[in-house]
Amino acid sequence: MAQQSGGAFTRRTFIGVAGGVAASTLLAACSRAGGNGGSGGGGGAKSAKFWNMPWGSDAFLAEDKRIVAAYKPDSGLPSFTYQQIQWANFTQTFQSAVASNTNPAVSSGGGTQAFQFAAQGKIAYADDLFDSWEGDLKDDFLDGLLDTMKTDDGYAAIPYNLDVRCSWYNKTLMEEAGATPPTTWDEYLETCAKLKAKGYYGFGLGSGAGSFTGSHILTGFMINNGGGIFNDKLEPDLVTPENEEAIDFILELVHKGYSDPNSATYTSANVQSQWKAKKFAFGWDGAGLPANVGPVAPDLVVGEPLKSRSGKQGFLYFPNNIMMYKNTPSQKGSEAFLTYYYKNMKTLWTKKTGIGLPPLKSIANTPEVSGDSNNKTILDKWNPIYHTWGAPGTSGLFANVAYTVDGTQPMITFTQSILGGKVKAADALKTLQNQIEPLMKK
Amino acid sequence: MSTESVTRSLQRARNGVGVGGGGAPVRQRRNKALNHGTTFFFFALPSLFLLLLLNLYPVIYAGFQSVHNGDLIDPGDFIGLHNYLTVLQTADFWRAARFTVIFTIVGVFGSWAIGLGIALLLRTKIPANPVFKVLLLLPWVVPTVVSATAWNWLVATPQAPLPVIAKAIGFGDVSFLGDPLAAQVLVCIFKVWISFPFMMMMLSSALAAVDTNVYEASRVDGAGTWQTFTRITLPMISRTTYVSWILMTIFCVNDFPTIYLLTGGGPVNATQSLVVMAYQTVFANQQVGPGVAIAFIMTIVLVIVSVVLYRQIRKASIE
Repeated sequence: MAQQSGGAFTRRTFIGVAGGVAASTLLAACSRAGGNGGSGGGGGAKSAKFWNMPWGSDAFLAEDKRIVAAYKPDSGLPSFTYQQIQWANFTQTFQSAVASNTNPAVSSGGGTQAFQFAAQGKIAYADDLFDSWEGDLKDDFLDGLLDTMKTDDGYAAIPYNLDVRCSWYNKTLMEEAGATPPTTWDEYLETCAKLKAKGYYGFGLGSGAGSFTGSHILTGFMINNGGGIFNDKLEPDLVTPENEEAIDFILELVHKGYSDPNSATYTSANVQSQWKAKKFAFGWDGAGLPANVGPVAPDLVVGEPLKSRSGKQGFLYFPNNIMMYKNTPSQKGSEAFLTYYYKNMKTLWTKKTGIGLPPLKSIANTPEVSGDSNNKTILDKWNPIYHTWGAPGTSGLFANVAYTVDGTQPMITFTQSILGGKVKAADALKTLQNQIEPLMKK
Repeated sequence: MSTESVTRSLQRARNGVGVGGGGAPVRQRRNKALNHGTTFFFFALPSLFLLLLLNLYPVIYAGFQSVHNGDLIDPGDFIGLHNYLTVLQTADFWRAARFTVIFTIVGVFGSWAIGLGIALLLRTKIPANPVFKVLLLLPWVVPTVVSATAWNWLVATPQAPLPVIAKAIGFGDVSFLGDPLAAQVLVCIFKVWISFPFMMMMLSSALAAVDTNVYEASRVDGAGTWQTFTRITLPMISRTTYVSWILMTIFCVNDFPTIYLLTGGGPVNATQSLVVMAYQTVFANQQVGPGVAIAFIMTIVLVIVSVVLYRQIRKASIE
């Protein structure tokens, strides 16, 4: 009797309520899983999600949020909410979201993700958007930039910023060591020797947990020597004389003690702390390096592209982009948002938020961008020699870049083995070739 | 009473009926028991349903992925046990398995030895004992991401505190994260440091349950400290010890953040355990089938190890 003294709440009632709660939970879970592109639900007004990466300093996040918050959609089109996605494990974040249909309507991300998702049928091609930008924004893109987004089925994404890899040096430390900025590989060795004599590292970079910059730099040196990863059949072709010579040169830098012995495991934060600690006097990084090194930032200067021993120039860059997903509350809404965003994103550069170089000529020509001597060096001297991951086979990008080299474990392992200095160039390249071949997808 | 009637009475007793009981009450009680069983089943049904949905479905789907050649979006074609065979034939798998075994052995027995030592120490009359207990728990309580960042700061660069100390005491330039062997040692030490408070807590409670009269009796019989420790303390806490070993083995084999946050499995995969390898195979190399196959192989081995240790617990209980 005591069990039933709780009034009307009987065992049957409990079972019924519990079953109802379970069913509601299940239905809610299914509803969320089946939801699209960040539909906010709730009433008639839908909202969609815009995911962006931390392309610059904290100022970038604040300014980017402000731009998105100021977007007022036309009647019937969704508003957009903003979310920043961290670089750590970003491929997992995006893949999981796309696989579970919880992806945003619009996002930036890794430079090759759009091509991967396009191959998987998840991308809304930007051809219609570019048609609507004809005579306006479309003509404003830097020369040749749109072509890097082109696939057989259409434009996989819209160029957003140029994430470049280039050399940097601390002018004060260089002067102290009596070194001059190098223009060739052999001059670079001389510079490193002078820096080493003063206790500074001349080949500063990192390839630790979650840091892919080291693998970018090694690929950059291969491209510098006329080599690279993919041939014109878009297949990995690493064991070439050009690549071997480039990696031999890197090994020479390592063996002579010009690189930090710990660099194989340096995270981005470790690399930045070495610049701040004035241990790195010359190194290789992205255009946003000064934004992350605090007091030494005014001393940092972009070096000139080096000529390899065979007299060639070249390096690696990532035409980062913004992609639209098929899974969206409204394709027209995605396009309207991007039109607004591209017409209003100028302040991300003019307010010096640390984002890479702009994709639009109108922004590149502003005094804030072109007046910065480092930006000018990159735009004038590095930009003409840059290649994508597809070099030397192609100037564009394709899905297998994402599957094989962009942020993959074999690239990290290869870079760490070279920076460890205990391998031969030919063997390391052959190992890398053997490891990335099985990752290719048809 | 004849043998037959005794057997009948025992059978009735097993059925919950008194020796002198009649037929009608038996049916009533059986019905009541059945009703109770049905009620409990329905009570448990919502939870069982959610449990199956949340646990069983992912496992079944992962099993499905492990015998297919697709990715996270497209499951691809059925390829049987090809992923398992491929994984087992790679040298990388066996290198990761070897490190996982070393990492687990050091993690389990290192943390157990230190945890037991401190638990015994805390039984003595130390001033501010509770404060020490709280402080000693910190490595376990602090999120791994914070600990890993702190350890990275301690060792990553040549001018970090530990390399400076190592150089000052004559070890030369030690690259704690850059040298493969040093990185392996460091990761194992980090694991022991994170895990010993758990062992300390488990063993402290086991030690508290040991009857002090046993110690007094052993002293009267002339047992020394070492004899008391090996003949009384260790056997008396053996059940807890085996349980803690099982749990710590599972924690170590499945430990992803400790390794990934400190070294990312590097340098050159030197600290790549099987769980880190599974993660990197799925999410960095986008090879879902082989990655999930690694995880399944790990699970099978872990279950076998757990069963062996569980049998030891039963044996210890019987003894």
